[in-house]
Amino acid sequence: MTRSRTLPRLIVGGAILAIVVAACGGGASQAPATAAPTSAATTAATDAPVDPMQALVDAAKAEGTLTTIALPYDWCNYGGVIEGFKAKYGLAVNELDPNAGSGDEIEAIKANKDNPGPQAPDVIDVGLAFGPSAKAEGLIQPYKVATWDSIPDSAKDADGFWYGDYYGVLSFEVNTAVVSNVPKDWADLLKPEYANQVALAGDPLASNQAIQAVFAASLANGGSLDDASKGLEFFKQLNEAGNFVPVIAKPGTIASGETPITIRWTYNALSNRDSSAASGGPAIEVVVPASGRFAGVYVQAISAYAPHPNAAKLWMEYLYSDEGQNLWLSGYCHPIRYENLIATNAVPADALAKLPDVAGAVFPSLDQLNAAKTLITTEWPNVVGAVVK
Amino acid sequence: MRVRRRPTFAWVGVVPFFLFAIAALGLPVGFLVIGSFQNADGDLTLQNFADLSTGTIPRAFLNSIEISLVTAVGGGFFGFLLAWAVIMGGLPSWIRSAVMTFSGVASNFAGVPLALAFVFTLGNLGLVTKFLFDTFGLSLRQDLGFTLYSKTGIEIVYFYFQFPLMVLIIAPALDGLRREWREASENLGASAFQYWRHVALPILTPSILGTMILLFGNSFGAQATAFQLTGGTIEIATIAIGRQIRGDVLHNPGLGYAMAMGMVVVMSVVITAYTWLQRRSERWLRS
Amino acid sequence: MSGGVQGLGRLGIMASWLKPRPGSEGHRRRRGSLVAWVILIAGVVYFLVPLVATFQFSLRPTPTTLAYTNVLNDPKFSGSLLYSFTVAIITIFASLAIIVPTAFWVRLKVPHLRTAVEFVTLMPFIIPAVILVFGVIRVYSAKPFVFTRTEFGSDALLVATYVVLSFPYMYRAVDTGLAAIDVRSLTEAAQSLGAGWPRIIVRVILPNLRTALLSGAFLTFAIVLGEYTIASFLARNDQFGVYLSLLGQNKAFEPAAVSLISFGLTWLAMIVIALIGRGSRVTVVGAR
Repeated sequence: MTRSRTLPRLIVGGAILAIVVAACGGGASQAPATAAPTSAATTAATDAPVDPMQALVDAAKAEGTLTTIALPYDWCNYGGVIEGFKAKYGLAVNELDPNAGSGDEIEAIKANKDNPGPQAPDVIDVGLAFGPSAKAEGLIQPYKVATWDSIPDSAKDADGFWYGDYYGVLSFEVNTAVVSNVPKDWADLLKPEYANQVALAGDPLASNQAIQAVFAASLANGGSLDDASKGLEFFKQLNEAGNFVPVIAKPGTIASGETPITIRWTYNALSNRDSSAASGGPAIEVVVPASGRFAGVYVQAISAYAPHPNAAKLWMEYLYSDEGQNLWLSGYCHPIRYENLIATNAVPADALAKLPDVAGAVFPSLDQLNAAKTLITTEWPNVVGAVVK
Repeated sequence: MRVRRRPTFAWVGVVPFFLFAIAALGLPVGFLVIGSFQNADGDLTLQNFADLSTGTIPRAFLNSIEISLVTAVGGGFFGFLLAWAVIMGGLPSWIRSAVMTFSGVASNFAGVPLALAFVFTLGNLGLVTKFLFDTFGLSLRQDLGFTLYSKTGIEIVYFYFQFPLMVLIIAPALDGLRREWREASENLGASAFQYWRHVALPILTPSILGTMILLFGNSFGAQATAFQLTGGTIEIATIAIGRQIRGDVLHNPGLGYAMAMGMVVVMSVVITAYTWLQRRSERWLRS
Repeated sequence: MSGGVQGLGRLGIMASWLKPRPGSEGHRRRRGSLVAWVILIAGVVYFLVPLVATFQFSLRPTPTTLAYTNVLNDPKFSGSLLYSFTVAIITIFASLAIIVPTAFWVRLKVPHLRTAVEFVTLMPFIIPAVILVFGVIRVYSAKPFVFTRTEFGSDALLVATYVVLSFPYMYRAVDTGLAAIDVRSLTEAAQSLGAGWPRIIVRVILPNLRTALLSGAFLTFAIVLGEYTIASFLARNDQFGVYLSLLGQNKAFEPAAVSLISFGLTWLAMIVIALIGRGSRVTVVGAR
């Protein structure tokens, strides 16, 4: 009547293993909490005898790490930006969920109000509409970077709480292995040859990219920045013609041919084109539509509860320096200081040549965006959902 | 002699469980409950619950319930058959281990990878779609009226994690069917059908029902798979919640929390129905 | 006639718990029936075809195995796998430690509390992971708990949250396993031999729950290995699920390779767990 001893052994072994791993992994406790997070803005225009930028760098290095959220590497070359920042200042960057949506970023700030740990984001990159709402909820702190004045007024908060970072234009990413006759404009998408081929890169009720696509279609379909209803009509026609595929388009579905025509920001489409070429995937062509060129802006902000406020400010300085802006540019984004960079010849010619032609792109104002959002989110399920069973 | 009734403290035995549940689930979820009564400014309001009856929210709940019922019952039925086949169907024993371990993995194969796997299989350019067209000239869309991007498509995809879950959970119950009972019933002249009808199924029914409720909950709470597959064009409760709490467009967390409370209510109703069914099935066991 | 069959069934229950459980070979009296083979083949087709389709797609780049080499050559691959394995094992044991005694007690002593317990175990399905993790952070980053400030504290929070996630599966598996054995008689017999509660649970009940425990362990293991949302917001970037999703970000073929590799690795791990679980041959106390 012997009793096997495996189970107790497993328990003890598991516990020991757990303690060992925790000890190894737990070596680095939290970064020393230096000064309590201050929300005093440190502008670069103080008349201190010490170079304020150097003081900021030193303070940031004392904090040692920066926590970011929602920064995918292939989005505007954030991978290059993060590496550049790490290399230049020797700070560690703790990256939280790159797939987080703007709502997640806001919720993360709210949940981590009392938390100086690595779960609390220091900086956020959110859709334009979230800047004012975050400010109203007291979740962000103001900061004006050294190059503040070269940021267009329409793309920043006057008090310095949020500021636009880059923009792109909605384009068609086409898998030319599946689609031989590449569409050139919005109206082309309705043609019967594109049956079951046109897709969005998200859900218009949850994705900035997708809802702006509906707004953009409005411009090309007889609407205007004040009237997004034509965009809804366009997608209704698209769906009824059987051209619309409801799948959320991803590089995988584009490469497989399931969503061979995807409406995405130029920077995402171009970056995917490059990686597809590099890995022997299908040849991809990116088409900026002839009409209905619609630009979308994202904004940066520093969390009011940032555990590393100086690192956050240094990050902003980096992003808005020529170096940071050019790194975004190499990811096919138009950095917000684009006009200024061109005027001061700060952009390398070859990088400039790679940028897509977005002449004539229109920028909606915050009010127009909000009006369009209300309309599209209420009507989209009736327009498209009614046809898809 | 007077019978003294001692107070029973038997419930103390489940205190550790409830303590842990409160600490790890109840307290964190408390914010959800409080949040559902708050609006954007933080004031208390019932508006979120009033909003539950507006827009596409009722349809989202109905769709979720429908899909969950279908995948719970269908998943339970075919999952049971599969479990029966590998445990009691006389197949080689290594097949049982293979199926059990595979079920362990498959039961969690969900979200974007699962959705994409089926896109590659049954999508417009999918493996099976092309095969049917090239070999039989059969177009899924035109001839069979089938598209993966529908409620039916979602259900077919959901089965991928529902079948294995049923297999894994019902396995111990099937193991518990004693060989002697089958032998005894055959000795008494019962056919296989009678054995199942009067011995095996009555014994298994509580476990089957319990597992179906697990399948229902599993399906009810699933989000990423359906979202990737249909891009939100099919309204589902979990997608609706995600839009309010996570997305780039809408941001009404109070409404999201209220919807989550709604899901708790639906689940409670289902649990109540299941408990009632359990009691009735116990009567069947005794009959 | 039906009464006789059931009466025999009940006798069978009483008689057979005394015999040592034969394990999985108890039903091999009949040859493999045709129906069983048909069902199995249908199941195999349904489960394998999507995997084959994914595999086919993952081989499209040039060179053919590029997606796989990109994934497997990544230096953080094995580190995150080890981390998640460890978290998974700890979660399984913690979950068993909470669920088995509870399910046993509910069945034996407090059946009227069954619905309440089931309700609690089913709640993790309904609460979206993102709400749960933000709630956990809110509660446990504020004084007096301050767990999030240390790596160990955050790891502990991760394990605790995963234990909660495993509740539905673990409880249902254990409860089904308990339903299949006669808990009352076993307990009474053990008590009459002088065993206390811990001994009863560990030496009498647990060995009879092997299938159920394995099922629960498989399910928990798979959940932990694949979980992404909670680990990500708790800044546990060593977690395999987080690591995998970072790999597949915005690439066409890597996600397919990643999901197949993850599938294969998890399956391998489960085979190992199954072998360990099978390793101990146990006889039930009181078999004389």
